[in-house]
Amino acid sequence: MSDALDLLKLAIHDCDGFVELRYHSKLSRNIAVEKGKLEKTVARRRLGVGVRVLEKGGWGFASTGNIDRSSISQAIQQARKAALVSAPLRSERASALPKVKLAKGDFSQPGVDEVVGRPLEEKLGMTRLLEERIRAAGSSISSASCAYTESLEEKAIVTTDGAAASFRLVRPEIRLQAVAEKDGVLSSGYESVGVTGGWDCLFLNGSGEFFADKAARTATDLLGARRPQGGRATVIMSPSIVGLLVHEAIGHTVEADFVQAGSVAAGKLGQRVGSDLVNLCDSGASEFAPGAGGTIPVDDEGVVAAKTTIIRNGILASYLHNRESAARFGVQPTGNARAWEYADQPLIRMRNTYLEPGTSKLADMIESTADGYMLDGPRNGQADATGEFMFGVQEARVIRNGKIGELVKGVTISGIAFEVLSTVDAISDSFQWDLGSGYCGKGQPAKVDAGGPYIRCRVLLGGQQ
Amino acid sequence: MDAAALLSFCQELVGRAVDAGADEAEVAVCAERQIESTLEGDAIHTVQSHDETVFGLRLLRDGAQGFVTANDIDQRTLGESVGEALDQARLNPPDSFNGLPEPSEYRGIEGLYDEEMSRIGVDDSTRIASTLLERVHQHDRRVRVDSGSVSFSVMTSAIASSKGVALVEDRTNAQGYLFGMAVDGDDIASFDYDGESSCTISDFEAKLLEAADRFSEKCLMGLAASGGESFCGTVLLSPDAVAEFLLPSLTTALCADAVRKGQSPLAGKVGEAIAAPQFTLVDDATLPGQVASSAFDREGVPTRRFVLVKDGILQGYLYNHYEARAAGGGVQSTGHASGGAGSPPGIGPTFLDLAAGEQANEDLVCAGERAVVVNRFSGSTNPVNGDFSGVVKNGFLLSGGERRAIKEVLIAGNLFDALRGVSAGSRERRLIGGTRLVPTLRIEGVSVTAG
Repeated sequence: MSDALDLLKLAIHDCDGFVELRYHSKLSRNIAVEKGKLEKTVARRRLGVGVRVLEKGGWGFASTGNIDRSSISQAIQQARKAALVSAPLRSERASALPKVKLAKGDFSQPGVDEVVGRPLEEKLGMTRLLEERIRAAGSSISSASCAYTESLEEKAIVTTDGAAASFRLVRPEIRLQAVAEKDGVLSSGYESVGVTGGWDCLFLNGSGEFFADKAARTATDLLGARRPQGGRATVIMSPSIVGLLVHEAIGHTVEADFVQAGSVAAGKLGQRVGSDLVNLCDSGASEFAPGAGGTIPVDDEGVVAAKTTIIRNGILASYLHNRESAARFGVQPTGNARAWEYADQPLIRMRNTYLEPGTSKLADMIESTADGYMLDGPRNGQADATGEFMFGVQEARVIRNGKIGELVKGVTISGIAFEVLSTVDAISDSFQWDLGSGYCGKGQPAKVDAGGPYIRCRVLLGGQQ
Repeated sequence: MDAAALLSFCQELVGRAVDAGADEAEVAVCAERQIESTLEGDAIHTVQSHDETVFGLRLLRDGAQGFVTANDIDQRTLGESVGEALDQARLNPPDSFNGLPEPSEYRGIEGLYDEEMSRIGVDDSTRIASTLLERVHQHDRRVRVDSGSVSFSVMTSAIASSKGVALVEDRTNAQGYLFGMAVDGDDIASFDYDGESSCTISDFEAKLLEAADRFSEKCLMGLAASGGESFCGTVLLSPDAVAEFLLPSLTTALCADAVRKGQSPLAGKVGEAIAAPQFTLVDDATLPGQVASSAFDREGVPTRRFVLVKDGILQGYLYNHYEARAAGGGVQSTGHASGGAGSPPGIGPTFLDLAAGEQANEDLVCAGERAVVVNRFSGSTNPVNGDFSGVVKNGFLLSGGERRAIKEVLIAGNLFDALRGVSAGSRERRLIGGTRLVPTLRIEGVSVTAG
C-alpha cells in the first residue's frame, strides 16, 4: 500500500487548486454451489485511480486503470477539462471545501491476512458442505445453494489539502438458500451473513451449519403457512428488520443530496421525528459489536469516518454529508463520501446505520403484546422520498395474547418512516448487526450494514383481502 | 486497442492458456470509452470520462472450469490470471456439461454503431444534460431532479476460443435518465424516474426530452394523494410496472438454470397454458438498432428471435451452452448466454416484446368499475413461488366514476396466478429502457390493502 500512496503523492505534488487522487484495488473471489453442483468459481481483479478536480466551482472526474504517473497525470488533465466544462453550467458554483482534519497514515483493518490466506480448497470445501447440509435437512428440500464471497480492498487517498491515508480491509460473506416443495407448491428460506473482518467475525452470531439449518427449516415451515389478513398491525421487529428500517426508510432521506432535492427530512432538523426512545446513528466504525459489514476507517474524500447521531431522543439532529454538502449546509463533513470502485465518483452513502439499544427485555415485549406479529429476515426493502417504505419479510409469526404462534407467508410491511418511529413504545437491550451481506444501490452499489435491538411499533401489513 | 487488436489479444491469451495446460479456453474482452455528465440536486454536478478494457478468461481442464477477470492487461497480470484459472480448475470437480460452443454462422445486426457518437465530447454531453434539466423546470417547477445523467459510450467487444470462435462487434450507446420527485409545499410525492437509450445519436436528444416530460408527469401524479380502499379485484399495471415488476420474475422462471435447479414453477410446463390467451411474449436480439441487440451472445452463439409464450401457452426456456447440454435430448443453446466480459456466462433475456392488446388505454376499465392503477410497484416477488407483495407508487384508485391519487396502498398476490388473471391489454405499447416493449395490462383477483 505504501507504493500506491507514494505514487499518488508524487503525482499530486505539483498540482494547482483542489485535486483528489484515489487508488482503489478490489480483489474478489466468488464460489457458488447449487443443488450439489459447483456452479462457479470466479476471481475478479479491478484496480485503478479515480481523480476529482474542483476548478472554478465545477467538478470534473476521470479514471484510469493504468497505475503509472503518466496515466494519472493524463487523468488529472481530463478531470480538469471536465470541471471547466461543467463550471459555467452549474446553477450554483461549488464553494471552497470546508477545512477539516483530514486523515494521514495507515488505517488498515484486522482480518485481511487470515481470510485471504486461507486456501481456496478450504473455502470451496466449506461452501460444498453447507450446501449439502441444507439438502440433507429434510425430504421436502428440493434445492439448495450456498455462495461464498470475499472482497479484499486496498485504498490510498491523497488530496492537495492534506489527506494522505491508506488502508486494507476484507469482507467475507456467505449466502444460503433452501427451496422446499410439496404437492407442486414451492417455498424458500434464505440466510446470509457478511462482515468486515476475519473468520471469527463472520461466525460471531452462529456457525455456517446454524445458518444452513435455519434456511432449511424456514423453507419447510413456510410450505404450510397461510397469508395474513392485511391491515394495520402491532409488530416486533428483529435487528435485521430494524436495520432495514433505519437504512432504507430513514438513512436515505437524511443523505444531504437527497435532502437538497426535497426529501421528507428537509427542514426538519431540530424537530421531533420519533418517540423519545429513538436514538439513531450512522458510523464508519463497528459500534456495539464487531465486524459490521459497512465499516470504513476513512471515507473516499480522506475524512475520518466517525459516528454521526442522526436522531437523538426522537429529535432529528443531523444529515449525512460529504465535503461539498457540508460546505453548503455550513456544517462539518461526516465522512460519508463513498465510491464503489476506482471508476466511480464518491457519493453520499451510509456506512453502518443502527438504532441504539434500549432497556426492555425481548421476552417482556412479547409477553405484553396482545395481538401482533414477530418479524424477522428481510427479503428486500425500498423506501421513498416521502419516507414511505416497503419491506418484504421472510419469517412473520403471529403473536396472540403474549405468545408467539404460527408462521404466515408472503408478508410485506409498509409505513411512513417518521410516523412509524413515533409509534415505537419498546426497545430491547440487545444489539446485533444483521445486514452485513447487503448492498445499497444509488447508481452504484455500496457495502453497508445496519442493525440494532428489537423494537415494537405499528405498521401497515400487506396481505389477503 | 482497435477491433483487430482486441481479437488478437483474445486469441493470444487463449493460446497462452492452452499452452499452460488448459484443454479448452475462451477469452472475452470489452474495451469501453465513456463520457458522462451527471445531475444532482436540480443542477449539473460532475462531468467525467472513463476508459477501461476488461477481459474474462474461462478455461477447462479435465472437465473442470476456472474463470478469472481483470481490468489490467499487462503481461504479469495475464500470466497470473492463467495460473489462477488453472488452479481453480484443478480444485473444482469435473462436470460433463462444461464445454465451449462451436463457431457458427453469424448475421451482423445493422444500426448498432454510430460513427458520429464516437466523436461526441464532454461539452456535448453537458449541453444535453443541461437541456434535459431545463425541460423539467419548464414543465413544472414543482418537479425536483434528485439525480440524473447523460452518457455516451463507444465499445468494442471481442471473443475468441480454442474451438475457433473469433468474433468482434463495435457498438455505441447513448443513455440518459432522471430520478426525482414532485414537491408542493409540505406535499411530497413518491419518487419516480424515466430515461432513454439509443445506439444512434440522431434522435437521441428528442427521445430524451420526451422521457423528461414523462418523468415530470409521473412525479406530479403522486401529489395530493390520499388513502385508498381495501378490496380484492382489478389492477391495471402500467408499462413501467409490467416491465419492472412482472417481466423480471417471469423471465427468471423461464431461464433453464432455474428449471434445472428446481426453482421454477414453470418447470415441465412447456406446451401448457401458463397465462391468459392474449399473452404472447417474444425475445429477440436480432432487431436492428436496438441497445439489446447483438449478433452473438456472451459465449459466441448466434442470437435469434425466440417465442417464449404464445397465446398463453409456454413454448420453451432460455438456454446457454451449459444448460442446453445439461438438459440433454438434443436441446441447443438459444443464444441467451448473458453478461459482460467481466463475468462468466449466465442466462437472460435480451429484447422482450409483449404483444399488444385490443383495447385503447382509456377503455381498459369501464365507467363505474373499481380498480387500482399501478404506475410503479415497490415490492418484492419471491422468484421461487411467485408470491408478491408491495406498495403502489404514484398510483390511482378508480372508484364510483372518480379517479384519485393514492398512497399507502399495498397489493399482494401470486405472479403466476396474475398471468392467468390477465383480462385485457392495451393497444398502445411503450419501450421501457430500450429493452422491453410492453402494453398496459388489466389483471383480476389481486388483493389491495389500504392503510
